[in-house]
Amino acid sequence: MRIITHTCPDCGTVVSANELEANRVMKCPGLDCESVLRFADLPADDREHFLEHRERYRL
Amino acid sequence: MKGLILAGGTGSRLRPITHTGPKQLIPVANKPVLEYAVEDLREAGITDVGVVLGHKGREAIQAFLGDGSEFGVDVTYIVQGNPLGLAHAAGCAREFVGDDDFVMYLGDNLLNRGIGRLVEDFESGDYGASIALQGVDDPGAFGIAEVDEAGEVRRLVEKPDDPPSDLALIGIYVFSPAVFDAIEELEPSWRGELEITDAIQSLLDDGLAVRSHVVESWWKDTGKPGDVLEANRLVLSDIDPASEGTVEDGAETRGRIDTRDGAVVESGAVVRGPVSLGRDVTVKEGAYIGPYTSIGPNSTVADTHVENSVIIGDAEIDASERIVDSLVGSGATIASADDVLPDGQRLVVGANSDLKL
Repeated sequence: MRIITHTCPDCGTVVSANELEANRVMKCPGLDCESVLRFADLPADDREHFLEHRERYRL
Repeated sequence: MKGLILAGGTGSRLRPITHTGPKQLIPVANKPVLEYAVEDLREAGITDVGVVLGHKGREAIQAFLGDGSEFGVDVTYIVQGNPLGLAHAAGCAREFVGDDDFVMYLGDNLLNRGIGRLVEDFESGDYGASIALQGVDDPGAFGIAEVDEAGEVRRLVEKPDDPPSDLALIGIYVFSPAVFDAIEELEPSWRGELEITDAIQSLLDDGLAVRSHVVESWWKDTGKPGDVLEANRLVLSDIDPASEGTVEDGAETRGRIDTRDGAVVESGAVVRGPVSLGRDVTVKEGAYIGPYTSIGPNSTVADTHVENSVIIGDAEIDASERIVDSLVGSGATIASADDVLPDGQRLVVGANSDLKL
């Protein structure tokens, strides 16, 4: 299973695609980091793959 | 080599304690379980540590570890979100790990002798992975490894009806980066998770060698209240006690008593070690603290017998009772009902509590 992540450019916290997709737009979960992370920040290929296989990324 | 500590999970078997915090921060001998994992990695020379977070307790774990500098390591946080399995947690760390080997350590596990030998075993050959194993009485309840005479793993079986050995996987692994390609090839198991045992089996199927490391000393998964008490007993049995607190004249003490800054054993109190008293704990006259007890910071115990228990902290205990084999959450008050009518116990108890009165 392809595991897709995104790294916050400000604090280096790594966030999985399922977390990004669940929120679409979210404050970085890194403590005291004010960055805004978006599902749209992922490369188009990753987004497409995730959305095509969305059920696999849900428990 | 890098380190990866898995600190997700709901801690459902430790409710109600985990209603207010992650299981990895439950203290054993007045130190959060997670800190033991960080120390084991650091003592093995691993200072670049990823911490995988789930949904629960993210902020608390980050607030505790910070950037890791207080613990001599450099921490990167990895937010897994949905609990999609140990292999998914590892896979989320691919960018962090890069081309390095890495130790994966379940953050609610405690290991008596550290991971130095496990890492040495891995580095002694050209291995795809090395897995820590321990003999168990009920192999049908665990993931079990079949190991040859040279100590190499032949196959893994999950909860086998006919176990090929009694050697169970205990939740501490060393991987080469080859494991990431194995994880990419995995499909979710029947329970919807990417299983780490499947990833290791995939390494074996691809012809990579997997080393076994049998842990002879104790190992403990602190997933349930009884496990926390047992881990506390094991750690206190070996503790090198600090003596930062005060034992007043007229107090009776015996055995190893670990006292942190501001702890006071007042005249007329009895403490029999091994015991750990956290910062600003007061044991008042008439109290008895018996062996294998840890009392967390800012707690007061008066007129009560406490033994083989973990009091997490900020507790007031004054009950004229014997409290044994107990795990008491933060901020709890336990007082006497002797002078209160009508006669009877009075409880304000959280969801999923477990009381024996």
